Amino acid sequence: MQRSIVIIGAGPAGMAAAIEAVRRGCRVTVIDEGPRPGGQIYRQPHPALHGEDFAEPSELARKHRLIDGFQAVIDRIDYRAEANVYAVFPNGEIHLAQGDRTEVLRPDAMIIATGVREQAIPFPGWTIPGVMFAGGAQSILKAQRVLPGRNVVVAGCGPLPRVVAAQILRAGGSVAALASLRSLRAMLRYPRSLWCGRDILREGLRYEWTVLRARVPQFTGYVPVRAIGGERLEAVALARIDAEDRIVSGSEREIACDLLAINYGFVANSELAAMTGAEMRRDPVIGGWVAVTDAFGRTSVPGVFVAGDSAGLRGALVAECDGTIVGAAAAVPSTAVDGAALKTNLAATMARRTRHLEFQQAVRATLRLPDGIWRIVTDDTLVCRCENVRFGEIREALESGHRSLNAIKRNVRSGMGWCGGRTCLHAIASLAEAATGQAPAEMMTPRPMARPVPFAAIARQKRAAAE
Amino acid sequence: MTKEKFDVLIIGAGAYGLSCAWWMAKRRSGARILVVDEGEFASGASGRNGAGFRMQWGLDLNIRLCQESTRFFETAAEQLEYPRGIELKQDGYLVLAHSEKALAALKGSLEVQHRYGVPSELLSADDCLKMVPALGRNRLVGGTFCGKDGTISPFLLLDSLLKACRREKVDVRYGTRVEKLERNGGGFRALVQDGPIEADKILLCTDWAVPELLASLGLNLPVKSLPKEAIVTVPCTPRVKPILISLEHHISVNQVNRGSIVFVVSRAREGKEIASTPDFLAFASQKIIDLLPGVADVPVLRTWGGVSSLTPDMQPILGETEIEGLYVAVSSFRGLMTSPAVGRIMSALILENDTNDPVLTQLTPRRFKTGDLIVEPLLNQE
Repeated sequence: MQRSIVIIGAGPAGMAAAIEAVRRGCRVTVIDEGPRPGGQIYRQPHPALHGEDFAEPSELARKHRLIDGFQAVIDRIDYRAEANVYAVFPNGEIHLAQGDRTEVLRPDAMIIATGVREQAIPFPGWTIPGVMFAGGAQSILKAQRVLPGRNVVVAGCGPLPRVVAAQILRAGGSVAALASLRSLRAMLRYPRSLWCGRDILREGLRYEWTVLRARVPQFTGYVPVRAIGGERLEAVALARIDAEDRIVSGSEREIACDLLAINYGFVANSELAAMTGAEMRRDPVIGGWVAVTDAFGRTSVPGVFVAGDSAGLRGALVAECDGTIVGAAAAVPSTAVDGAALKTNLAATMARRTRHLEFQQAVRATLRLPDGIWRIVTDDTLVCRCENVRFGEIREALESGHRSLNAIKRNVRSGMGWCGGRTCLHAIASLAEAATGQAPAEMMTPRPMARPVPFAAIARQKRAAAE
Repeated sequence: MTKEKFDVLIIGAGAYGLSCAWWMAKRRSGARILVVDEGEFASGASGRNGAGFRMQWGLDLNIRLCQESTRFFETAAEQLEYPRGIELKQDGYLVLAHSEKALAALKGSLEVQHRYGVPSELLSADDCLKMVPALGRNRLVGGTFCGKDGTISPFLLLDSLLKACRREKVDVRYGTRVEKLERNGGGFRALVQDGPIEADKILLCTDWAVPELLASLGLNLPVKSLPKEAIVTVPCTPRVKPILISLEHHISVNQVNRGSIVFVVSRAREGKEIASTPDFLAFASQKIIDLLPGVADVPVLRTWGGVSSLTPDMQPILGETEIEGLYVAVSSFRGLMTSPAVGRIMSALILENDTNDPVLTQLTPRRFKTGDLIVEPLLNQE
């Protein structure tokens, strides 16, 4: 009997898992939100759009090799583009919406490869149009081939802001300032990691060179503390955070810009994994709450696997290896996963994954946020945009002893709105940790819907016959 | 370890538990009152319901409990010294009938309501459709409407009660589970993880979980658990002004000020799980579209679940058990809307042995032994 596998997400992990599972003779369904495979990192422009891509050639080669590999097997895949999984259940059911109807699938195994989203840190003015995620700005460049702003301040931590600054420059934009919470020199403490990631580092250095050559003013140790403007962003105030995590008074400087692109790392899209009842753990550096997985991506729920960044930030190269390994593990009966044959079979991919993961140690060092960063959130700062909740209200709820995300939500409605807490919950957990010294023990109870779907579509539901 | 001793221990910090505690503290200042709850703030049925209150019932006692409670909600901000208010909204309740049998029950109930001065009125199917154009005409035969019925925010009611309780020196502890109850001379001992708690009197407000605690003292009460699931949509244009309930669809509908529509959909099943069930969404969506075709295009934002109590006659249980000093207050799925009146009545009973309220005679736990069950005409429409 052919094993059925449903893969949620067609980024690097999902595509690699699909290729592997098809190769092993499984009946594979891939469900993806996007119109074309690639996910966030390998986002493809509309085929009618021509023009330059501002990424490094070696990076583009990786992207196209994987996408071509996926395209080569796509006619053997039940590929669902522009489809949303809005619920999964502990019994293995996957509910998806596509067009004006919904469908319930119940495969032998599901692989959740839903990636990450960017981490929001609210600060005064962050909701003014013209403030956006650095990755979001990059997506506009990648998918629409247009500049997201003419005069840009890029800020945050880790490598992404620097890459985005370089790509904006290459696209003809001007970068008014590049503010980094930490110097990338933190990576030098991991020489072994750097050696393992030398190929990626080479790409990184070329982006650095673009930034240096353009003489972009750089502010190391600085973060945006205020966005200034009314209808549109006009300027941003940067301030220095010192070694004791304090915002240094008098260090503020205003820089005129029409776009502020920020990245403070990533949050795992782990809501679906949590909905299956899988055991979760929290690690802010790799994406907040993530499913506990083993080397084969197995969660605590039989038949539920997680691959790639949604199991904890690991980058596209690891995600691709991960996809292959998890795709293989899901393709065989559960008893065979622990057998020697599969391990031997996957030895080369596992070694490659280990090497790429080693490099992530150095990357993670640049993504660790100091507690002081949360001091940029003032009482007046809007934290939950959907429900209009300011930090002062959350602080009061914390002070009256409501420490869990569920209890805070019931007090101030944070996380009850349109986005279901995807934007603010991770920040609220970290704010609670910074304010009380203790992180909330659990994520907000994950429930359907992961995405809004109209009643009419839910009522028109196709249910796969029980197998 | 120093033993803790209280005049009254209330188990369960939902609307019943907190309301009873607040009324007791007001009635006798200096009373040592402890409220414990195994969960966290608003994590039980009081924080998981449809938020409605209504005086449209068919039985005297339900009308009276809800009438008194409605008056309390209207002045809760002042009474509980909670300037923010509890988001009181009195846009009315439209109770719909989709069969002649249900319509007859509504008409009969209307007479009883009018005897108590409830400003309710009978509507034709056309009147109902005029009031809520999103409704489906299919099988609709009419309804009744009362403009004084409405909704509050359950979270704000619980928060205002919690703050008022703490102001009155009531000790409220979350995350505290009572494993077992024991008799201790004339009083009781409750075993919690931190050690025993002694109390002269105990009031059980754990709703569907009351039988578990009673069992540790050798008592039983026929209370079952009834899991329910709810749906909230994304904010949309105003489509449903009054609260709707349909006696046959077993659905209540409430469009809140933010524009989201909340649906509570009941199905006959038993269990204590608040988890969402896989077949619920499709089942509920079909029913909702049948009742209210005008919302078919509205996207569902989220679902949630809750567990309420169900008694053999679907009526609350209020009073002292066979053990002196041990009291129960079981809501039978309308705890939020009756909590103010129940708080007043139970506090008088427990602190002053005041048994004068006729509700206590009808809702006594003893009725299941004597067979004096009660019939609420608006709850038996299958």
